[in-house]
Amino acid sequence: MKFHWFNLMPWPYLPDDFAEKHRSVWVDVDSRLFDPVKANRVYNDYLDLLEFAEDLGYDGLGINEHHQNAYGLMPSPQLMAATLARRTREASILLLGQSLALYDPPTRVAEEMAMIDCISGGRLISGFPVGSSMDDNYACGVNPATLREKYLEAHDLVRRAWSDPDVFAWNGKHYKLRYVNLWPRPIQNPPPIWIPGGGSVETWDFCAQHHYNYSYLSFSGYIRGAQLMEGFWRRMEELGCEFNPYQAAFAQQICVAETDAEAQRLYEKHARYFFSRCLHIHPGYADAPGYRTEATIRAGLVTQMAGQSSAMNQAAALSWQEMIDKGYIIAGSPDSVCEQMERVAKTLKIGHLVCLLHFGDMPNELCRYSTEMFAKHVMPKVRPIWNEYEDHWSPKPMPREDRAVPRAVTMPEVPPVGAPARIAGAR
Amino acid sequence: MQTQIMRAGPQNIEVHYLRAGSGDPLLFLHHMLGLHGAEAALAELSRHYDVIAPYAPGWGPAKDQLPEIDPGPLDITLHQCDVLDALGVDSAHVVGTSIGAWMAAELAAIQPARVRSLVLVNPLGLWLEDTPGEDPFAQHPGYPSRMQFAEKSMRETLLINGRDKMDAHVEELLNLRASAKFLWPIPDTGVKRRLSRIRARTLVVTSGKDRIVPAAYGPAWQQAINGATLQTLPEAGHVAELEQPSAFADLVHGFLRAAH
Repeated sequence: MKFHWFNLMPWPYLPDDFAEKHRSVWVDVDSRLFDPVKANRVYNDYLDLLEFAEDLGYDGLGINEHHQNAYGLMPSPQLMAATLARRTREASILLLGQSLALYDPPTRVAEEMAMIDCISGGRLISGFPVGSSMDDNYACGVNPATLREKYLEAHDLVRRAWSDPDVFAWNGKHYKLRYVNLWPRPIQNPPPIWIPGGGSVETWDFCAQHHYNYSYLSFSGYIRGAQLMEGFWRRMEELGCEFNPYQAAFAQQICVAETDAEAQRLYEKHARYFFSRCLHIHPGYADAPGYRTEATIRAGLVTQMAGQSSAMNQAAALSWQEMIDKGYIIAGSPDSVCEQMERVAKTLKIGHLVCLLHFGDMPNELCRYSTEMFAKHVMPKVRPIWNEYEDHWSPKPMPREDRAVPRAVTMPEVPPVGAPARIAGAR
Repeated sequence: MQTQIMRAGPQNIEVHYLRAGSGDPLLFLHHMLGLHGAEAALAELSRHYDVIAPYAPGWGPAKDQLPEIDPGPLDITLHQCDVLDALGVDSAHVVGTSIGAWMAAELAAIQPARVRSLVLVNPLGLWLEDTPGEDPFAQHPGYPSRMQFAEKSMRETLLINGRDKMDAHVEELLNLRASAKFLWPIPDTGVKRRLSRIRARTLVVTSGKDRIVPAAYGPAWQQAINGATLQTLPEAGHVAELEQPSAFADLVHGFLRAAH
């Protein structure tokens, strides 16, 4: 089994009465709640945590894309990927989102991903989500009636741009480019492609058709997720795909402490911050007309966020033990977490676990502790679960000895507070 | 009213339409929620007119035609001409509501000879920065059109109206999807530049309880169309002909009758 350390990068300073005073954490969230000076530390702490996770042996470092969102401070995951490409050595860069239909021309995404793959020596996992209705339709103004058409066309264009060695013309319905000729190109041809999805039936067929990894990014935990993943595996079987757990990933909130009681004491308030503030989403932004297809509506699959906003309303009202029992969060001592983890792996049959070890307003130090506890006491026990399967959805980087090594950074001495800073060229 | 099917235009596309009555032809262009066949206002108007109410491409039984139609004014206007041609109607009174009023205005501006007189009820297509109105799309996905009615409960009684809940809900979402294709993310269709081309005698109607197209839009449309008059339906919401069928039919008939 593979473990990816993933951070949504939430804004940790939402006020206690956020849910009462504000209608949504997303799209029209009050920008006065953001403080760019505080963000200096927030971003750097979050990037430190991602780098720290590599030191502990996590297989991948996960980042994604959200817009006008106080629980996801990454409008551009490429920027995060770029810094990780330079500051890390071994871990996969799990870029779980460039919503293709947001970029015109979408070859921009192909270019940036190629750059990251080159800089990192072939460590990129390229995620292509359709994107949420909040991001695509409401924050970025993409028409929901044509979003999926655009997404599919952009996907075909990116794939061809990566692979066709010749200049070609693209005369599509949504994109027209007389000269497509990608410079640079990715080391991996192509990088592994993961499709983050909430639960639309077309996405499953798309993954089967292209042999892509399906990543179910839910915040409602593995018990609710089991039903959906069962649908996914059944569909894959119907379409004649050979079962391989590495073709699926699942995101789960996890926290580890010495004892179960200690876990509650340390983490409960941060979980509550996440469920009651970060997922406080105005239902009017959850599902623009046309965002879900008729088949998905009829299959009774609610959109990720409509489902979640109702699920989350429930989660926020649960006791700590109920949150654990219902699977919203995996928490406790290493033994308890191992036991829950085995259930996750076996019921969902997933080979890639996207570990949400940071959630809500969890402070840096506490998150490092939980991240380390999980790496030292849980990962080794759960890792062998799918040993008999080959993972075709992880990067195949250049041999380590051939990869460039970025220049070592020596930090300049910081002058003591109050002393004048030395300026180059000054006397 | 029975739904009828014909073929229209050079591509022979299927057109589903309601038709009843006799007299001068009256082309009725529906609002964002389409048609359901039991519109009392159309039944009343059919006592005086040959009422023709087609489903626009993308709505109701024509849902699968949406990808083929361009969201600008040209395709939809050519389509309306194809419908009139297929029925052998040279010109008609054209009554449009909501998004249908935008389509009616485009037809009157681009093909003036085909429009005898024009009624625009709660028209979408202009954008007033200071009076945007409620977003017709950013609504709860469980009851997405509730905002369009003067009273929330009217969605159940007038739109769902005893039909299978899943079917009615799916149709509601797909009709809004079709509307979004033309109006996303801001219902400014550019029709403003063409309104001065309209030659037909025109009535603009706004509704007193319309939260999607606030009353401030009435004067904006009226001033942009030569000689247009403005009236209001004080008790109606955005989908006036479902909510106030008699008042709607009386207003339209009163205007069209005086045109003779």
